[in-house]
Amino acid sequence: MADTPMWEQIGTGFVQHYYQQFDTDRVKLADLYTDTSCLTWEGVGFQGKNAIMGKLTSLPFQTIQHSITAQDHHPTPDSCVMTMVMGQLKADQDQVMGFQQVFLLKNIDNKWVCTNDMFRLSLHNFGA
Amino acid sequence: MGDKPIWEQIGSSFVQHYYQLFDTDRTQLGSIYIDASCLTWEGQQFQGKAAIVEKLSSLPFTKIAHSITAQDHQPTPDSCILSMVVGQLKADEDQVLGFQKTFLLKHYSNVRVRANKVFRLAPHIL
Repeated sequence: MADTPMWEQIGTGFVQHYYQQFDTDRVKLADLYTDTSCLTWEGVGFQGKNAIMGKLTSLPFQTIQHSITAQDHHPTPDSCVMTMVMGQLKADQDQVMGFQQVFLLKNIDNKWVCTNDMFRLSLHNFGA
Repeated sequence: MGDKPIWEQIGSSFVQHYYQLFDTDRTQLGSIYIDASCLTWEGQQFQGKAAIVEKLSSLPFTKIAHSITAQDHQPTPDSCILSMVVGQLKADEDQVLGFQKTFLLKHYSNVRVRANKVFRLAPHIL
């Protein structure tokens, strides 16, 4: 792991932790957000930890599983880490669907938190 | 347009401008990168305007058309704009493919440049 750039270590560690929490007990995701964090979930915006957690804990499925296909991490000019994830997910007995998610991670008081989070399912208007 | 947050206005017009340039003459994309810009293209990294423009100019197709399915924009704590784009593209006579792209936009002396860009094609879901 010594040769992996720092931002890749941070990004990869975050992604692993995030989806593990999401899939087992998403209430615990609260630790990763702050009062100024923004989430855009399927085009709808949520501002601040409380609103974000309200959305995530009210998603209408019992079981959820994410599988990561690819992830990319960049350092940003302001010393944040930008992370893009592509993968697939399965909620309850629904069909498997593709998704993409982007995170912006910032080090605040020695802890890496998520200041920006955007999620979309991979749905397109085929044909036309 | 009066009610749209500034970051959405900037992000949307950037996305429109970017793909218009990309689809007509991508050698002109140089003006939106700087020497500190990073591009990750299908998992491969390129650092700095010259390397990025070279990669984009050397992509092996004659014509390309992008179609944007959805785009999201957020302001970041450091006054940048984070944009996520989901869409489809068609290169030459190849089949239509899905893609996703993320941009981080930063304001430098009155010119908005793209500091970071990550691009991935969406894999087939069997």
